[in-house]
Amino acid sequence: MRIAITKQLAIAAAVGLVITGCAATGGNGAGGSGKAPLTIAGVVAITGSSSFEGQNQAGGILPAIYAIDHQGGVLGHQIVYKGVDTRADPADALPAMQQAMATTNNIVLVAGPDTASAPALVPILNQAKIPMTAVAGESVYNHNTLPYFWRLFPPDSANGTAMMLWAQRKGYTRIATVFGTDSGSQGDLPGVLASIKALHATLVANVSLTPDQPSYLSSVRQVMAAHPQVIMTESDATTAGTFFGELKQLGGLVPIIGTEATFTAPWLKAVHGALGSSFQKYYTGLITAPSKTTPAVTAYEKAVTADKSQVPSPWQSYLSNPFSITYWDGVMVVALAMVAAHSVSPAVFNSYIPKVANPGPGKTIVYTYAQGVAALKAGKQIQYFGATGLINFNQYHNSFGNQEAVGSNGGSQPVSLGTVTAKEIEAVSVSGVQ
Amino acid sequence: MWATLVSAIAFGVVLASIIAIAAMGFTIQFGLTNVLNLSFGSIMTVGAFAAYLGLEQGINAWYGLVVGGLTGAVVTLVLGRGVFRLYARRGAKLFEMMMVTLGLGLVIDYTVQAISRNNVYQFTVLQAAPLRFGPIIVTPTQLIVIALGAAIFLALEGLLRFSRIGKALRAMAAEPSLARSCGIRTGQVVIVTWLLSGFLCGLAGVVYIINSQSVGYTTGQDFLPLVVAAAILGGVGSPGGAAAAALLMGVVTQVVAAFGSAEYSTVAGFGILVVVLLTRPSSVLSRGSAETRLTI
Repeated sequence: MRIAITKQLAIAAAVGLVITGCAATGGNGAGGSGKAPLTIAGVVAITGSSSFEGQNQAGGILPAIYAIDHQGGVLGHQIVYKGVDTRADPADALPAMQQAMATTNNIVLVAGPDTASAPALVPILNQAKIPMTAVAGESVYNHNTLPYFWRLFPPDSANGTAMMLWAQRKGYTRIATVFGTDSGSQGDLPGVLASIKALHATLVANVSLTPDQPSYLSSVRQVMAAHPQVIMTESDATTAGTFFGELKQLGGLVPIIGTEATFTAPWLKAVHGALGSSFQKYYTGLITAPSKTTPAVTAYEKAVTADKSQVPSPWQSYLSNPFSITYWDGVMVVALAMVAAHSVSPAVFNSYIPKVANPGPGKTIVYTYAQGVAALKAGKQIQYFGATGLINFNQYHNSFGNQEAVGSNGGSQPVSLGTVTAKEIEAVSVSGVQ
Repeated sequence: MWATLVSAIAFGVVLASIIAIAAMGFTIQFGLTNVLNLSFGSIMTVGAFAAYLGLEQGINAWYGLVVGGLTGAVVTLVLGRGVFRLYARRGAKLFEMMMVTLGLGLVIDYTVQAISRNNVYQFTVLQAAPLRFGPIIVTPTQLIVIALGAAIFLALEGLLRFSRIGKALRAMAAEPSLARSCGIRTGQVVIVTWLLSGFLCGLAGVVYIINSQSVGYTTGQDFLPLVVAAAILGGVGSPGGAAAAALLMGVVTQVVAAFGSAEYSTVAGFGILVVVLLTRPSSVLSRGSAETRLTI
């Protein structure tokens, strides 16, 4: 115990130092406008087993900041990024966020918090009147009433329902679920389980994986003994690589339907490496439907390419990463809201967020920050049509669209297999989750 | 039910083989030097990455075991003689040294994280059809891992029991001052201990990633609690005890995962450690007392 406590203290201290160091050096340099830079705080796991969250975020936010700063910033202010490492653990997230709030001026947006830290951080951020584009998929936010909470990601239950609808379309009725026990992975599970029930499929095995174990052989055997037609899954990359590698080696591979979180470069790489040529045949991911090629998508791709030296490697993976694209849109919407409100004060511009994003009569559709600024200067009302497509916040500050079933050849470029529409998802009555 | 039990025990043996290699290395080093080396997991990671880099350069993954082992040996020796000894000479005791190893481990982890760009890399070796022995299904890779664990255990026992250096090592672990007065070259024995422990550490890192098929900067640290638990459970300084403890922990975790819930499998493994510490704490606590001298 003495060892464990000492280790935790030392780790906490070291992580704090590392994060402080990163924060001190990690931001983009502010321009020479004379106005204080505005800060976007990225509040997700930057280190630890969920560190892919930080990579996904940096892959979308850094190009957004690049694009905005190259247009002169927001009302003359440049934007800087500050990483706040939650390590996907509320115990780490709370002090890290408190420290960031105490030491950072002008936080205009929190990109996050993530699923694990949302219960601890959302009330604090709301009280501090800091707008947040949360990555938390929990159903508790489906009927959110906090004014500073905004969610562009689909709720976990929607992703789960889409997965089950896709399975049904493929004729699968015997389902096994394999989810990591980490809070990020567990978020989607209730939606999946409720949807299995709602669509009258049979849950033959519900297996939980403690992350980063050297072997999951007994869990593999448990799944194989249940003879599922399909496995629905989410876990961190390392865990997934080990589990599915062992599943393949023992001859138990069946089709895999992954949550949106599985369609990220580390997960795809790990499982593709474990399954080899079988990966393409067996894997389907359900992700936020990528927008068709629009000027918004082009602007996003252009910014990622231009800022490729700043984003984590490999930069190409962010061109189609649904998380990164959603983060991009979140920054664009908030930046345009500030311009529309003629203010960088969150208390003033927060209410402008839906005004610049949602569709409405007489609004001018804009696809880029530059277009939005120009239209606003011309006295027009705008609707920002994002790189993720239509953004339409409901009364609970939630906006999500269709889900796309995609395959992968191991790279991060999605291969479309079909669409599950938002209408289909909403038509499924999932009790207890939505 | 019977088939599930047999199968779970077999899986437990596979897991135990992986834990045992690392635990034997850890316990030898702790038993002789009295340094509770919490950078052990980080060195495992370095050994694993060395094997991965070797694989990328076209070196066969099985030769990677040697690459990883040698890397672990060199890194451990450098740390042991270059860093830990420096602190010991300045009066660092057991607890202070533990903090030093912890700090060094974090430095290594975050260095690997920076160099590896925080990515998880695939380490795939032999992909062959599984073999069936009644209810037991194992892959050729797993059989090799079991054989490797058993071979290392036998080799280590042979070394400690029958070789001159092994006897010197045991003598020093039991009573360093007496061993020194008997003419044993303690400095050389300590060097051999660092090398041997480091080699097993690096080797264990490679065996781990052969089974898990991926390597990341947290690979070793994730594994460290199991290694420390097996080393303590088996009695500090006893490779045989560490191997037996690893077997017990491996089988229990897999049986619990098979019959209960996978979430509780690790809990059950560490539960054994708690029970043993409650019933037989003396051997471990005496080793961990503040007065214990470091032999570096």
